[in-house]
Amino acid sequence: MKAAMSIKRVLSCSLVLVAVVGSATASEKLVIEAGRIITVQGPEIADGVIVIEDGRITAIGPASEVEKPWDAPVLGGPEFTAFPGFIEANTTRGLDRANESVDVAPFLDVRDSLDPINFFFEDCKRWGITTISVQQGSDCVIGGRGRVVKPHGDTVEEMTVRPSFGLVLSASPKRGKSRATQSQALRQAFTDLREHLEQLVQEKRDGNDRARREALYQGRDLEGERGKGRAMTATAWKVDGLELVPRGQVDEKQEPLLDLVEGRVAAFFHCSQPMDVHRALEIARDNGFLARTTLILEPACWKAADVIAEAGVPVVLTGDLTHTEREPLTGEELETFVPTVYRDAGVRFALSSENSSTQSLWYQAALAVGGGVSRQTALEAVTRVPAEILGLGDRVGALAEGMDGNVVILTGDPLSSTTWVDTVVLEGEAVYRRDEDVRNRHLLEGIAQPGTQPAAGSSDVAAEAEPESEAAMAEPDEASGEETGPDSGEEASNEEEEDTEQ
Amino acid sequence: MISVGWTLLALTTSAALPQEEETTWVIRAQTVYTAAGDPIEDGAFIEVEDGIIEGVGSGSRGGDGALECFAVTPGLIDLSVRIASSRWSVEESDEVQLAARMADAVDLFSYRWGREARSGVTSALVSPPDNNVLGGLGIALKTAGEPTLEARLLRDDAVLRGSFGDYPARHSTPNRLAVGPPRDFRTRRPATRMATEWVMRDAFYKGIAAKRSGTAYDGAEVLESVLSGERPMIVQAWATQDIRTAAFFKAEFSIPRMIIDGAAEAWREPELLRSSGASVVLPPMVFGQRARDNAFYTLSCAKTLHDAGIPFALSGHGAERSDERLAYQPAHAMRGGLPFEAALEAVTMAPARMIGVEDRVGSIEAGKDADLVLWSGRPFEPSSRVVGVLVSGRLVLDPRPTE
Repeated sequence: MKAAMSIKRVLSCSLVLVAVVGSATASEKLVIEAGRIITVQGPEIADGVIVIEDGRITAIGPASEVEKPWDAPVLGGPEFTAFPGFIEANTTRGLDRANESVDVAPFLDVRDSLDPINFFFEDCKRWGITTISVQQGSDCVIGGRGRVVKPHGDTVEEMTVRPSFGLVLSASPKRGKSRATQSQALRQAFTDLREHLEQLVQEKRDGNDRARREALYQGRDLEGERGKGRAMTATAWKVDGLELVPRGQVDEKQEPLLDLVEGRVAAFFHCSQPMDVHRALEIARDNGFLARTTLILEPACWKAADVIAEAGVPVVLTGDLTHTEREPLTGEELETFVPTVYRDAGVRFALSSENSSTQSLWYQAALAVGGGVSRQTALEAVTRVPAEILGLGDRVGALAEGMDGNVVILTGDPLSSTTWVDTVVLEGEAVYRRDEDVRNRHLLEGIAQPGTQPAAGSSDVAAEAEPESEAAMAEPDEASGEETGPDSGEEASNEEEEDTEQ
Repeated sequence: MISVGWTLLALTTSAALPQEEETTWVIRAQTVYTAAGDPIEDGAFIEVEDGIIEGVGSGSRGGDGALECFAVTPGLIDLSVRIASSRWSVEESDEVQLAARMADAVDLFSYRWGREARSGVTSALVSPPDNNVLGGLGIALKTAGEPTLEARLLRDDAVLRGSFGDYPARHSTPNRLAVGPPRDFRTRRPATRMATEWVMRDAFYKGIAAKRSGTAYDGAEVLESVLSGERPMIVQAWATQDIRTAAFFKAEFSIPRMIIDGAAEAWREPELLRSSGASVVLPPMVFGQRARDNAFYTLSCAKTLHDAGIPFALSGHGAERSDERLAYQPAHAMRGGLPFEAALEAVTMAPARMIGVEDRVGSIEAGKDADLVLWSGRPFEPSSRVVGVLVSGRLVLDPRPTE
């Protein structure tokens, strides 16, 4: 039954894809008309036109000033608002599993666990998210390499915007570790790197050929640049004589960390408590990658806002935008609206779809405005700031000449509760149309998808099984827990769950 | 420390507030949504005296001391708030607890009252836990004020709480080999949906039989008040099958006033619900997952109920996260197609009518309690915020900028 359902899902998914691709403009030119264009980096344009050629925006401005190519198909209309796509600076969704069980695993790459037909990417289009940095999760000491993708394509390569982008580190403890052992493991990883490099240099000086033989045995590339040594360019600490060691001979498990220390990799450092922030900044500083560090913060970290401001690093705000805590003596509840704290401290912040409510970005931006952040800052926190964090500030996150042709056509203001994404254009190609989005109707109205309904007479069963089967599977199944019988362990977890409900 | 300017909302329980509190105000707003007829636009005022609304009108009134904001709505009413003084557990002495009163267990000093109040909820129905088939009598209270039941009371023993579906059975020991002693109390509890329903039916039949034969039955007068329509019965039912069970149960015993709480799949049975005459309390919207009892909760559920003419209310269900509370629920319902006026109704007058407190709360009209929510922008938009709250004229959240 489960297999049959998943086949159905794949089928329906590919049906959607076929429908969308079929309607997409195959030509290399596209014109988008909109009653209102929100450029984010410049003033709004009323009655505007965007011309996209070969995937790039070649012209943007009021309809009266922009010349439309006569042979280009036209999307949008006066009733629509054009907006640069929302940008997600850090998510683990889209991966089959967020972390490896190994403490230090910088040699991994999310490429190997990215699933192009994951429901998440479909949802991204529905929410108007056009650029996504998929990274490993925080349950690690040092995680693997991430990747910037767009939510469209049949293979990881087709989706890729920037391969091997970003490396995840965590200052909050991996499962089974305390903060002390976590910090120790973080520092040890860099000590190990240093010792490894020193050993390589020593071996070369001694005339020991082990590293070369090992590299050859493992079939590593030792041609060209990989066959040459290069002096270490790091700023924080150096191993002298590294120019003696061809880079291809550095252990694969250590090389991503060497890249990090030499400043070639962006670091995403997870912190769940204010104290983690201090340690993350210290380790980044001690190893020379502070300038390339972005902190991925949980709500409680607002208390470290001035430390972050002093370090000058950008942050990504995950989870609830309001931090709630109990005053330990009086039992009073204290609420802090987090984005305004960072704004006032002068920290650049991006909002995240890694939140517990809608898992969208427009909603977070709207909440930020509600909490007192200016509209412009809120919009930038879901467009330009994450684009800059991903090193794509000149390509995405705003609508301007020369930028990627990523445009979201909305039915109204991006921060209004009744606005829907009508069309998503990625690099000049319409990849999502709301009127063709069967699943959206499903989420909205709960109608069974055509073609997925079983034989007549059991329509109710169909409706029960079909909607959102992906999400239903992701959710911990309450019923299955039941079958095992409530032994004392389950009892405890049940009660815990209820406590949160009081 | 961080420079000033960040938003820190510290809400005290009312016990910590000064004894003599101001309950007379003038409030000025761009728009007042009264929930009793059309909104008053382009400048409106509300006069509050001794905790009661004295007058509402258009134009400007009041001097420098007036509270100002963009818009005002009536205080929100949540029929599914969870605040108890004990652990939120199940009463194991008997599955049917007709005589249990939430009035005896509600914790007036819980920090959760402040959480509800400052997010705009001014009246709350607090019911016994869902784990019992018939849990007992709920109480409707204001969310702020002197910490006594008398001072906060809206309606005592306002509802009888029941529960269908998987929940009462969830904690029970499932069937096991018929050897050895039962492991604990719960061995006897209902372990299935059908047994849950049977226990409830059994209680009602026993109550009716006792009345006919003139014999004593504990809680018979509670059942009678439900059967006569004097007291509404609020039952939990999330999935379609349980919503049907509730509707059939209502018909079977001719229960005049039944409220179905947590009815996430109500969109599947609008006709049944309409013809049954039941009303509905919807849970907070979920995204990317199922609701409780594996129910599939559509965005347009509220709209479907509205279109079918079924009385319904929205609820925050005591949500932990700040952006899941009642004030944020109308936005999701409106995204699903519910008109603004209906959304306003669903968090004010509709729940007030369901538990019969509409003469005191639920709209902005002269003579009613001064339960008011002050908004920074158009109410319910996620880009607006609750900036001020009055409960019976007491300022629970102050809209005036701090020094």
